[in-house]
Amino acid sequence: MEELLTAKKLGVRIVSALVILAVVMLVCSLMGTERISLKAVFSGAGSQATINPDYEIFVQVRLPRIILACIVGAALACSGVVFQALLRNPLADPYILGISSGAGLGAIIAVLSGLNWTFWGRSPVAVFAFTGALATVWLVWLIGRRTARSHVTGLLLAGVVVNAFFSAVIMFLTSVAKGEQVYATIFWLMGNMTEEDFLVLWMGAGCVAAGMVALFYISPQLNALSFGEDEARSIGVNISKTRTIAFGVAALVTAVAVSLSGLVGFVGLLVPHTVRLVFGPDHRQLLPLSGIAGAIFLVTADTLARIVVAPAQLPVGVITAIGGGPFFLILLVKYTRRVGWVSQ
Amino acid sequence: MSIIEASHLSFGYSEDEVIVDLSFEVKQGSFLAIAGPNGAGKTTLLNLLCGTLAPKSGVIRIDAAAIESYTAETLAQKVAVVRQEFVPIFGFTVAETVTMARTLYFGPLGFEREADRQIANDALEATDTAQFASRALASLSSGERQRVFIARALAQDTAILLLDEPTNFLDLKHQVGIYDVLKAAQLEAGKTIIAVTHDINVAAQYCDEVLLLGADSKCHVGKTEDVFSPEQIRKVFGVEVLAGKIGQEEFFLPLGKFAKNSGQISSQQEKL
Repeated sequence: MEELLTAKKLGVRIVSALVILAVVMLVCSLMGTERISLKAVFSGAGSQATINPDYEIFVQVRLPRIILACIVGAALACSGVVFQALLRNPLADPYILGISSGAGLGAIIAVLSGLNWTFWGRSPVAVFAFTGALATVWLVWLIGRRTARSHVTGLLLAGVVVNAFFSAVIMFLTSVAKGEQVYATIFWLMGNMTEEDFLVLWMGAGCVAAGMVALFYISPQLNALSFGEDEARSIGVNISKTRTIAFGVAALVTAVAVSLSGLVGFVGLLVPHTVRLVFGPDHRQLLPLSGIAGAIFLVTADTLARIVVAPAQLPVGVITAIGGGPFFLILLVKYTRRVGWVSQ
Repeated sequence: MSIIEASHLSFGYSEDEVIVDLSFEVKQGSFLAIAGPNGAGKTTLLNLLCGTLAPKSGVIRIDAAAIESYTAETLAQKVAVVRQEFVPIFGFTVAETVTMARTLYFGPLGFEREADRQIANDALEATDTAQFASRALASLSSGERQRVFIARALAQDTAILLLDEPTNFLDLKHQVGIYDVLKAAQLEAGKTIIAVTHDINVAAQYCDEVLLLGADSKCHVGKTEDVFSPEQIRKVFGVEVLAGKIGQEEFFLPLGKFAKNSGQISSQQEKL
């Protein structure tokens, strides 16, 4: 059974993936409308009189945005993995339990009410989106629990219905909003990166990193849960503990991502499946590698969003969907026969 | 010594009870078949025995302790289950699936230890599935896949093995193959095996005892040769059978009224 995953094999793969991520981050940080040179960047900040523009652009503009893309990409990819495993549904993504519509509703309410304050460096849109996301997922969880004690179908249906209902409310609010408010909302709904404070970035990174560690800790249980609840219970998995940790952490991490960047689509669906197709479904490996791959994917996509129509910028969600879709279809056709996801 | 004791069990999904006041014991190291017509509560009984369902009334003791006193973790150290109707997703391989049975015993980083690999390997060997260890579960035939799930249950290294219709949909060769694996696990590893089955003839050849559940909630427990009699089968399944004997074990051929040899049933009955 040499083909089984070992801690050493996983370690090598994680380190290799991190090296690739570092290279991608470096290359992407040098790309953009303004050409900057790495050498100039490393010469330091310069003095008060002679500001080093390369350094300023690198540290104040490019780096925060690239770190932001890493955080959001890793968060969405990891929670995609978790929702697919828990719901035993390959179509599940981080937004499936109503997070997208809840966050969207929160965001549009913030836009419409024209609030103007900051909370720990966060705008009202971000705070409302975060709260809306968590409140909605909690609501869906409660409804799902009432409808079906042990089956995930109730949860999925509750998520779909709540999503549809809130989306309708969002459409209603958008249609009564003013022009510039609609523009801001739509940009947010498409997923959009901006340059954030380092304080915000470190808080986001801390949440996502802690979440990934917690999820890695329950990844053997997630493997068992992929075979269904009864199967998992009979090999000794504490279902309610595993599900609570997994749902809670995945929802929290997604809410953090959504409050940082709006609704970036496709990452949570595409990255986990791609990693699964190439490396197999073992969650001990799938979770960390998907996190890193999600970061690589979103950093690349956001760089394209910055340079494709420069000096203007595209919402990154447009790039993830346009670029990711065909790539994913190619992988699906090429690998599915080999791994045989579903036999019947 | 009894490893499982059930006393006065009752269970129903709604008002109507599927299982009514059922009591029986299973001896350690024995092979028990649970048989009976559709809807008699065989799978329900299995789900009660593995703690998936809780009885409305009555007590189940495993190793002298009430089943409610076990957690998922401690119960999984005593009882392994092979269920039917399984649809694999996400492309886990055979080796991954079988090793997963050791999840409880994984090291702090969530990886199997050397001993776990050895146990999983032995289970693959015992079920003759080692040759497709690296293949995806979904790419196997149903007979092969069933052997893999038995390997997984064996790898859990429990004293009790519960199986729900392990030979469903399998051809003759694979049916016998599965029972040989189970019998070997009973004789060589001393496991207690409880299998729900529709095939009373194969069960009679392999099992020591049988629990026959009737649709009227009556149950008969005992040695296979005592429980499986033509009258009993007729009564419980509501079908005429032609009976014969190989050694100690009787076998039964169910025959409807248009079957070629259905006339022989009445002549057999007249002889008795």
